[in-house]
Amino acid sequence: MKRFLIVLGLVACAFLSGSLVLAEVKNPDTYIFLSIGEPDTLDPHYAYDTASGEVIGFVYENLIAYKGESVTEFVPRLATEVPTLENGLIRDGGKTYVFPIRKGVQFHNGNDLTPEDVEYSFERGILFDPYGGPMWMLIEALFGYETLEDFVQDKVGIAWSDMVDEEGNLKSEEYRQKLIDFYTTYIDPAIEVEGDSVVFRLSRPFAPFLSILAQNASWSAILDRETCISLGLWDGQADGWWKYHNWKKEKSPLYDKAIGTGPFKLLEWDRAQQKVTLIRNDAYWGEKPKLAKVIIWGVDEWSTRRSMLEAGDADQIYTPLQYLDQVRELPGVVIKEGSRLTITALHFNWNVAKESKYLGSGKLDGEGIPPDFFSDVHVRKAFSYAFDYDTFIEQVLKGYGHRIPSVIPRGLLGFNENLPMYPFDLEKAKEEFQKAWNGEVWEKGFKLTLLYNTGNEARQTACEMLKENIESLNPKFKIEVQGVQWPTYLDAYRQGQLPAFIIGWLADYPDPHNFIFTYYHSNGVYGTTQGAAFRKFAEENLNALIEDAIEETDPVKRQAIYEEIQKIAYQNALGIPLYQPEEVYVMRSWVKGWMFNPMRPGEANYDGIWKEE
Amino acid sequence: MIFYILRRLLFLPLTLFGISLLLFLMIGLLGPYQRLATFINSPERLKGVDVDKLVELYGLNDPLIVQYGRWLKNLLRGNLGWSYVGKEPVLSAILKRFPYTLELTLFAAIPIIFLGTSLGVLAALHHNRPLDHGLRIFAVVGWSFPDFVFGLFVLMIFYGTLGWFPPGNLSIWAEEIVKSPYFRNFTGMLTFDSLLNGRFDVFLDALRHLAGPVLTLTYVEFAFLLRITRSSMLEVLRKEYVRTARAKGLDERVVINKHAKRNALIPVATVSGQTVIGLLAGTVIVETIFNRTGLGSFIALAAEQLDYASIMGGTLFFGLILIIGNLCVDLSYAFIDPRVRLE
Repeated sequence: MKRFLIVLGLVACAFLSGSLVLAEVKNPDTYIFLSIGEPDTLDPHYAYDTASGEVIGFVYENLIAYKGESVTEFVPRLATEVPTLENGLIRDGGKTYVFPIRKGVQFHNGNDLTPEDVEYSFERGILFDPYGGPMWMLIEALFGYETLEDFVQDKVGIAWSDMVDEEGNLKSEEYRQKLIDFYTTYIDPAIEVEGDSVVFRLSRPFAPFLSILAQNASWSAILDRETCISLGLWDGQADGWWKYHNWKKEKSPLYDKAIGTGPFKLLEWDRAQQKVTLIRNDAYWGEKPKLAKVIIWGVDEWSTRRSMLEAGDADQIYTPLQYLDQVRELPGVVIKEGSRLTITALHFNWNVAKESKYLGSGKLDGEGIPPDFFSDVHVRKAFSYAFDYDTFIEQVLKGYGHRIPSVIPRGLLGFNENLPMYPFDLEKAKEEFQKAWNGEVWEKGFKLTLLYNTGNEARQTACEMLKENIESLNPKFKIEVQGVQWPTYLDAYRQGQLPAFIIGWLADYPDPHNFIFTYYHSNGVYGTTQGAAFRKFAEENLNALIEDAIEETDPVKRQAIYEEIQKIAYQNALGIPLYQPEEVYVMRSWVKGWMFNPMRPGEANYDGIWKEE
Repeated sequence: MIFYILRRLLFLPLTLFGISLLLFLMIGLLGPYQRLATFINSPERLKGVDVDKLVELYGLNDPLIVQYGRWLKNLLRGNLGWSYVGKEPVLSAILKRFPYTLELTLFAAIPIIFLGTSLGVLAALHHNRPLDHGLRIFAVVGWSFPDFVFGLFVLMIFYGTLGWFPPGNLSIWAEEIVKSPYFRNFTGMLTFDSLLNGRFDVFLDALRHLAGPVLTLTYVEFAFLLRITRSSMLEVLRKEYVRTARAKGLDERVVINKHAKRNALIPVATVSGQTVIGLLAGTVIVETIFNRTGLGSFIALAAEQLDYASIMGGTLFFGLILIIGNLCVDLSYAFIDPRVRLE
């Protein structure tokens, strides 16, 4: 019995050891980042979320990259030079870009990088253009269209769905030649190999073109042509290219494979454990990473993430602001800050769908609002005056945020903190409500519902603050704040039933066009959902200016146009720009070489960091 | 007996068909845009999405019967569809996650049943004495603890402070071994596989990672069994055959173990079976806290995002386990209690 107990004790010691060693760098060669969720897909032409971009950005490489922390300066990556007007690689008034391609670079499978790979990568992406994917950026930049299908319809004169069925087969042989011609006339000449270079020909000058190509823009990643074709991606031929258009996410062979030229290789994406493992590419052409292995692991429970950081089993963790105080005092943990190019704004629907449940009676009788309630500028101004911006940033964001005059975040061209902004002023709000709808609003009162999707505490609080302030003005004003599950919210948003909605935007590329177009252009992603009256307003007052700004190459003139657009947005109270958040990055103090770039999708520069106490 | 089993098994596909139809109708009551939440799972994902084209691509606007027919047709081909929350085919998502859940359940079942029954007997034997009261209070406290609260306690104390029981399935070094080509996966359950591969170190590591969730589940779950055992034991102790046994001068140990306990444990067997089956489905929270992705959390996430292929597949799988599990419990009942005859 005694011997048994001794053996048991020894086993227990072995069992518990390894966890008692403290205060030294754990797993010195391996970096463990705990995030939430996991990538959506690893196909660079489909991925459009930060979790996917984080992996793709270290496995694949682009032609150029941002220099350090800058979002305006570039360094060459797979190209050997960054095109500029001075070096003559930007020509024809900004319509031609030439990229000399680096030699001696190998893909992870040993294949050599060639200019043909570059041409193939872009063409495959553009022809693929999956619904909900990011390829619209390149299609807009190169051709001035929003989707490949729009482009085809405009040039061929027949709608895509009339020519090609869901399986990708032609509905009639007569379309074959038309589609082949479309490729050879428009797509193929736009991206061409010339000697050791690849030349892009744009249909018009497009100011942010280089930003759309820069590292971490997964849609511009360079793929290995040979591997792609052998996996069953587009075969590079003009005949039959339509069969490779708009596959479902899971159909792409690149969904869970990644063969690039980058500093890390994809070892495994374990979807059961939400864990991606990258290992160092020892044949990398540039400076090799110091870390041998990177593990990006989705750990959804905050307490678990925090415990693992505390124990040193994680090097960095995703930390929502409301939990920041829990890690502030932890020994061996540091908090770094950075400001991403993202904003959150409340926008109004000028023509709410009549069947909406959120309008009350649907009339201005004190028990509801008419569907076009927000088409009156005084109502929008009153709402803008009634939001307590500074308290929100201080209390809810704990100081980690800034006010913004419009939807352009600070750090981008066009931002100017001296532009006019609505102050929090309930007296002025009252005045505006008294003017709204010829005084009817003030006299009869109104009732409406503001929705937020549950789980989003900042948005919930923003709605509740608006409610408090507006209801305090007049006892006849009633705002209900209602939390709904995301599917319900999505449904209501899509059907145009929300009277107002709070929605954010994260830069796809660091240019004001990406924000201004999204919110203010009549065809922008959020522009289209603000009602017919808004779209009419945008067509008359904003669209032309937005188009001018994108073709203008002189930054000073562009700044002036963007300021003009923002003044129009202010005068007409087009939306309430709520805040630009400041983000926090929580990591162990042994993490060295960590650097922030606002355009990096993930939270760490794995190719530059190392661990050392 | 065999006829009984066959009859029960014959009903199985019918039951599953009924479940699937009911579920599909419930999901179908939601509008196509609501169901699009599967593909666009947060406001940020609205970027660049032509929502109507997506609805068309995934056939969300088709009549319900067409959608159900499509699903059924694929099912007959052995294809449960694509899981958007699992990010892989539904069947492989389930088969990868189920071993984790099963392993946790098996390991938790041992202490739950052992503690529940033995302490229950102990409490009954000390009826209304301090030990009985103490055990009952201890059990009720555990029972009333929400598992996410107790789970977090365990995590903070045994991992945060003592560093003994880390979350996850394995340490990094052990995972490297398991993922290496030399390591063969037999069951998908790490403890069994590591023993079969002769890696005792990996086995110990897997046990260490199991300890936290097992401890949590044990404390939260054993109370019910304790109470059932105790009351059943008390009832049996009052039975006349126990009095007879005592009267004929049998040793008290023989009375308790042979005459009383055996009879008292008959209802306990059923409840234990139900508890184990329940654990298979009900470990979501513990899995989340200890970061062990299992089947429970998979289906919970699927339901949240209306990923119908995953919901249908997962529910059918659980249905299957539930029906077979219950059948096993019923059969075991017949073996334990000769009075029960299955007809």
